Amino acid sequence: MECRETQTLLTAFHDGELPADGRARVEEHLRGCPECAALLADLERVDRAAGVPDPGPAYWDRFNARVMDRVEREANGPEVRVLRPKGGWMREQLRYLVPAAAVAALVVVIVYYGGMRPGAPTPAAPPAANRPAAPDSAGERMTKAEPEPGATKKAEGAAAARPVPPPPPAKELAETVTREERDRLADRSLPEGDGVASRDRAAAPADVNVPSPPTALQRAPGGQERPGAGAGMDATGPVAPAAGSPAVPAADGMTQGSQAERKKMGRAAAPMAEPQGAGKETSASGMGVAKEPSPGSPCELARALAERERFRGAEDAQRACLAGDLDAPSREKGLVFLAELLDRQVRFAEADAVIADVDRRFPQSRPLELYRQQRPMVQRQPKAVPVTR
Amino acid sequence: MRSDLDGEKDERLAALAARGDRGAFDALVTRHRQAVYRLCWSAAGNAADADDAAQETFVRVYRSLPSYDPARPFGPWLRKIAWNCGLSVRRDGNAGVPRVAGGDAPEAVDPAPGPEEAAAGNEERRRVSDAMAALPAELRVVMVLRAVEGLSYAEIALTAGIPAGTVMSRLSRARTRLLAALGGGS
Repeated sequence: MECRETQTLLTAFHDGELPADGRARVEEHLRGCPECAALLADLERVDRAAGVPDPGPAYWDRFNARVMDRVEREANGPEVRVLRPKGGWMREQLRYLVPAAAVAALVVVIVYYGGMRPGAPTPAAPPAANRPAAPDSAGERMTKAEPEPGATKKAEGAAAARPVPPPPPAKELAETVTREERDRLADRSLPEGDGVASRDRAAAPADVNVPSPPTALQRAPGGQERPGAGAGMDATGPVAPAAGSPAVPAADGMTQGSQAERKKMGRAAAPMAEPQGAGKETSASGMGVAKEPSPGSPCELARALAERERFRGAEDAQRACLAGDLDAPSREKGLVFLAELLDRQVRFAEADAVIADVDRRFPQSRPLELYRQQRPMVQRQPKAVPVTR
Repeated sequence: MRSDLDGEKDERLAALAARGDRGAFDALVTRHRQAVYRLCWSAAGNAADADDAAQETFVRVYRSLPSYDPARPFGPWLRKIAWNCGLSVRRDGNAGVPRVAGGDAPEAVDPAPGPEEAAAGNEERRRVSDAMAALPAELRVVMVLRAVEGLSYAEIALTAGIPAGTVMSRLSRARTRLLAALGGGS
């Protein structure tokens, strides 16, 4: 064996990771080569010196008590503050503003439709639809999160500096609504006062712990899910998603439906739901951006169920989706999505295993990297989110 | 730490802790806190973030115990959580770790070297320590897991989520840099 080959194997030799035959060959070379033997001595010297600065006994004396203190405070339902990702403030805000804008747009459509019926009184423009929702929702969220005063001030400043444009007037919007859309909305048999309730919800603060404000399409007043509305679930179980059902982004980061998808589906209200480039808002786990499945496929069902916070059912559907024939990018995103679903069910160890699998199969996975950045926030949310098993 | 738990395996302690035995959880923390801290330090690169990540690691472990399968080894599971927490708190990264509000600010960590290091007065060790802090996290973690924790390439690969071949190449690069910090070597 020559020096060059020996030195290639020296690290593995030093770490005891070389198979027996290779080890014997290196040892033989080392006996007759002082230069390579000196290199090995250097490796041993570095390893002996390598270490991590110890914080000292006083630190360790208090360590366990501090852990238990945090555990107990969590068990008692703590207020949490989340260090926002660098440069991600606006993105965070959009998670709340986009659903609020979508709801406002829908209210305008509903009010306009009410005005189109023969004999119906011309409705006044809803106040919530004519004022920017951004400062309200963002400001309220920051207040609930109770960050340090500086952060609240900053949030208010940013919200004021970048107000979300108010929704267009009802008439202008209604001209873009297709007859099919009107018929579909008419078929929903909206209960009396739904528009008002929806309007109220549009102006209501987004709860920081339950960051998925119900939309008029997702839930009827009183929080009851309305059959046929939203992402394709009825009271008895999953159904294939309606082709025209608006995909309102879930405010918890699992954004549904890319801008391209919405355009493809020809939704009249979609532009209202995508202010300031919100169409770029996609989940790290690829929800809404993975290979577009056929309607009613397990992949689609998983997204629909996750949107409705039925994470257990979504997990089952996603596993069925992954059992199918997916291309590599879709599988990569699908696995990351599965990890997110497990995290949301507080099954972190299983999520860890899925993440390790992604790491193994897709080294340097970008979707995984993005999800890792969101993960601490995702893991914090399930306590406030009812998991349907 | 309760003496009756001294000889228990990690997996047994985890199962007890999952059933609400705080003493078992305390024993687990005591047993692994230094290794977790070192791993978090290797990911974060500084003491304050390492403290934050180490605390967060055990909070997450506690939260996840109900879903932990005692048939699987505890160590790799714990290390994976610690590594993720360490990456999450990196101030030079793009993520944040949720913190409990109100009076839970991490205490100042003593920047002075530990008693062993101080007693040795080892200048070489001090220089390597500085060089370790200056290493990129991906090199530092393989170095700590190998040279300090004594893990195999396979175990390091599992923790850091990289192939075993990458572990070896990163170790080689890390040692080359540390050797340079020591003054070149042979």
